[in-house]
Amino acid sequence: MWMSVEVNGHIYEREVTEHWTLLRFLREDLELTGTKDGCSAGECGACTVMLNGEAVNACMVLAAEADGATVETIEAEAAKGELSEIQAAFARNYAVQCGYCTAGMVMSVRELLRHNPKPTVAEIKEGIEGNLCRCTGYQQIIEAVLDVSGQITNETRGGLKYV
Amino acid sequence: MNDLFKYRAPTSRAELFSLLAAHGEGARILAGGTDLLVDIRSGLVRPELVINLKKVEDFSELTWSQSEGLIIGPATTVNDVLHDAKVRDCYPLLADCALTIASHQLRNRATVIGNIAHASPGADMAPGLLCLGARVQIASQRGRREVPLKDFFTGVKRTVLSHDEIVEAITVPPGTAGSRGSYRKLKRIDGHDLALVGVAVTSKDGAVRVGIGSAAPTPLLIEGLTDADPADAVVAAAREAIRPISDLRCSKEYREYMIEVFVRRLLEEVR
Ligand SMILES: Cc1cc2nc3c(=O)[nH]c(=O)nc-3n(C[C@H](O)[C@H](O)[C@H](O)COP(=O)(O)OP(=O)(O)OC[C@H]3O[C@@H](n4cnc5c(N)ncnc54)[C@H](O)[C@@H]3O)c2cc1C
Ligand code: FES
Ligand code: FES
Repeated sequence: MWMSVEVNGHIYEREVTEHWTLLRFLREDLELTGTKDGCSAGECGACTVMLNGEAVNACMVLAAEADGATVETIEAEAAKGELSEIQAAFARNYAVQCGYCTAGMVMSVRELLRHNPKPTVAEIKEGIEGNLCRCTGYQQIIEAVLDVSGQITNETRGGLKYV
Repeated sequence: MNDLFKYRAPTSRAELFSLLAAHGEGARILAGGTDLLVDIRSGLVRPELVINLKKVEDFSELTWSQSEGLIIGPATTVNDVLHDAKVRDCYPLLADCALTIASHQLRNRATVIGNIAHASPGADMAPGLLCLGARVQIASQRGRREVPLKDFFTGVKRTVLSHDEIVEAITVPPGTAGSRGSYRKLKRIDGHDLALVGVAVTSKDGAVRVGIGSAAPTPLLIEGLTDADPADAVVAAAREAIRPISDLRCSKEYREYMIEVFVRRLLEEVR
């Protein structure tokens, strides 16, 4: 199918394989490999991207469904060559170990903060419930979100008592 | 995805209905895709044509009126319902059910009608919609018909729909607006998981209704109970209705036990 989609501000017009997922299209056709494939089943959240401004699992969307849509991926976060505020907070709070979950986590955090600029710990947990991390134990990720939303001081940093 | 299929995204009902009529069993409707794409990947269904119905005009409808109650369209997502002010006002039980489904990202895609049309015994929207007397509006090229939700399910992943029919809306009558009630879902982990059992109880104008998921081949509705019935009688009616099995998620006995626990707790809450 011939389709037109805006990804990270660029308009791509091309033939898309009708049974491909948006995840495969982004990674293999557009070579935007920041978005990860963890489970291909909607379980892990590694593939989270923004579709028309809402966080979705790219493995659970057909590429063809993005015809006429706007997509944002992790590549848009550091578009200016610098880490975004969310990414910087992840780095500052050691919220990244192997990094496989990070692209999806950052997208989910972006969605959460858009609706709720000062989330509580419970709201943060709910916001990232669709994103599995097998390394950090989530504490540092929760701390990074508290940090980027201005709810942490140098005294309370590293408290690690959120889970 | 390994299987090859063609994709269409009609923008009118007429186009949608004629595609369905022309392709019969080979066509599958794609709403949020969160059940369908899983089934295609696993080879459980092998459609030749996938028809995205989200682009049909006015299919994202979610409206409430005193005369007609709540109307939920085929492209209305679980998050749409969860965040709708009217739903929270009139049918807070539906928001309760919605919040238990999967994760935020999936709820942005998963539709309420897809949850019902997939007819999984554990569909989390079912117990609440059953208690609230929801009705299923079915349409095809041949015409329209209405079926009470309690008669819509015919077995595990089976419904009264024929291949050329769609669910055009789920309606919740104004009469059950303001029902007191809530939903309890038993899960193995705190994050997202399918229900080991799910129980909803409502009370309105003296009538008590119990909806139960993951306890029989289809979601169940127990009616004909009143506020005057003692908890033991409600539990006995629930025990009589359920047909739980043991599976990889838990045993039949645990399901029976937890259904009783949830029915008692929810009754205390609504009374
Ligand atoms: C990781 C994961 C977690 C999940 N967790 C839960 C959970 O906690 N609770 C739960 O209940 N479910 C859960 N689900 C299942 C699924 O997300 C829900 O059932 C969802 O509501 C399905 O809606 P959909 O719009 O995505 O359906 P689709 O996949 O688009 O459709 C489902 C089925 O219904 C048919 N269909 C859809 N719309 C119509 C229509 N208008 N008319 C006729 N037929 C139609 C389709 O052809 C298909 O057969 C989960 C799924 C995944 C992948
Ligand atoms: S790869 Fe999409 S949710 Fe895991
Ligand atoms: S950092 Fe390794 S999975 Fe999260």
